[in-house]
Amino acid sequence: MALSTTVSQSKRIKRKAPRGFLKRIFKRQKPHLRLESSCDLLVHLNCLLFIRRLAEESRANACKNKCGIIKDQHVLAAAKVILKKSRG
Amino acid sequence: MEGSYIPDSEPTTRTLLRRLLDTEDPHTPRGRQSTRASARRTPLETPFSMRLRSQTKTTTRRHSHGARSIGRLAHIQTSGRLKEQTPRTLLENILLTAPESSMVVPESALKPVPAPQVVQSPSGESSRGSLELQLPELKPPTTLAPGLLLALGKRKQRLRLSEFQQGVDQELPLSPEPHGNAGASSLTSSLNLALATPPVPQSVQRPGLARRPPTRRAVDVGAFLQDLQDTSVALALPDTVLEDTQPFSQPLIGRSPNVRHSLPCPSSSAERTVGRRTQSSGPRLQNNSPGRPDQLLVGKAEEVDALAVGFPNTSNSSSGEDGLQPLQDGVGEEAEDVMEESLRSPELTSITLEFQQARQLEFLEPAQPTSTAVLPPEPLSARRPPRARTAGPRLRQDPYKTGLSHYAKLFSFYTKMPMEKAALEMVEKCLDKYFQHLCDDLEVFAAHAGRKTVRPEDLELLLRRQGLVTDQVSLHVLVERHLPLQYRQLLIPCAFSGNTVFPAQ
Repeated sequence: MALSTTVSQSKRIKRKAPRGFLKRIFKRQKPHLRLESSCDLLVHLNCLLFIRRLAEESRANACKNKCGIIKDQHVLAAAKVILKKSRG
Repeated sequence: MEGSYIPDSEPTTRTLLRRLLDTEDPHTPRGRQSTRASARRTPLETPFSMRLRSQTKTTTRRHSHGARSIGRLAHIQTSGRLKEQTPRTLLENILLTAPESSMVVPESALKPVPAPQVVQSPSGESSRGSLELQLPELKPPTTLAPGLLLALGKRKQRLRLSEFQQGVDQELPLSPEPHGNAGASSLTSSLNLALATPPVPQSVQRPGLARRPPTRRAVDVGAFLQDLQDTSVALALPDTVLEDTQPFSQPLIGRSPNVRHSLPCPSSSAERTVGRRTQSSGPRLQNNSPGRPDQLLVGKAEEVDALAVGFPNTSNSSSGEDGLQPLQDGVGEEAEDVMEESLRSPELTSITLEFQQARQLEFLEPAQPTSTAVLPPEPLSARRPPRARTAGPRLRQDPYKTGLSHYAKLFSFYTKMPMEKAALEMVEKCLDKYFQHLCDDLEVFAAHAGRKTVRPEDLELLLRRQGLVTDQVSLHVLVERHLPLQYRQLLIPCAFSGNTVFPAQ
């Protein structure tokens, strides 16, 4: 019993992946390349992990400055680090 | 049970009861064995009798049973087995004492009569006399009686039935009343059904008993056509009837009046294009609203010309040759369609496309006859502005922004701390940069593998280089942790029944 490539079970998925959005971005950036269907989800996974790391880093920065609110300089500093890390 | 000889179509409790009681009767054809069977039937009888009593419509049943009770009376009294107080005997008493005519006479008059009788011990003579008196007054069935009549012994049954039918005939005009008074409309309908069953070729002869045929009003074709013609000018019609060169002539004929008056074109401009359709232009001129500017007609004229050019079989229509009048009428019809189509969609450029749409319109048109006359100008003007507006850079920005903000929301969820709006925008900028890096990396990886398509292996390599996938933490683990189940199913190969693995590796 092979399942279809579309989502089979419930129609509603919590935290849906914006597959169309991701595909459009990739196409806009690299029109000469093609993206496979399941790579979509892996890219989404990658984004989630990136944002998770970014958020933790910014939270750490904000706590370091003893701020209760995350400010953009916290985010900026965090982004510098994380972008370097996820450069691949 | 031996209900087989009873030609009832519906095995109601009453009919079953009747069967039971019939078998009791020693004088009926099967009466002999009933005496033996009655002993084992009494337990069967009790639920029926209890049910009967519990039902609220006891009166009707009594009435129904009453019809037969006349015949039964004689048997039962001669048999002399009555008088043990079993449920069966009580039931028989009910049947005996119920007045015969109750089904016919309005119930209100009869209800008090049988009620006291049921409680008392059966006084057969008096009740029989009353029953017999009431028998001739039988009216059209409002209760079970006819159906139960059928269950009687056939000789008695026929007699009663014939008498009953006579009574029905006599009382035919009163039939609505007892129906209303019966208060058991469902029963009446069931009774009517029961009466319609076998011994009932008689009902065919008795019109009062037959169901009323549904009164349907025949479609007045003449009035319909008259309405059609009223909306158009009469001389338009012969035109369309004449030419039959079009494959969709049927809808055309019905539609042409609508087309005529739905096409608003001022007379002056119409002449140019209509030169070949002198007849059709007449009605159009009369019926069309003068509101339409000439520009439309210019466009129409061009399209008409183009259409005429497109037709291989027609001559140059703009010249208005009358020699090809029938053909041109055909062309005119098509051009009319096109023109009408042009009214609705002035932006269509290809004639063939319009033509096809005109044909589609033809099918649509018969469904919307005269109301389209007023509509064409309005939806047209309403439809034009949305089409004219082009998608500018505004659209390009929005979905990109919305996609990024989707991830920014996740960011704020992950931090579990309040954030400033500026911080959120900063996050979106970072995401933008991140996506660029991502695409570059994937391109490099795919080129390294000599491919032009990005595959999951490239993604895994990317995750590994990012340090997210290690020897301890594999890709599948990450997928299971962070993605919902539906995506997990798509990504991680899993074995299914039938020796298959999905997704295929």
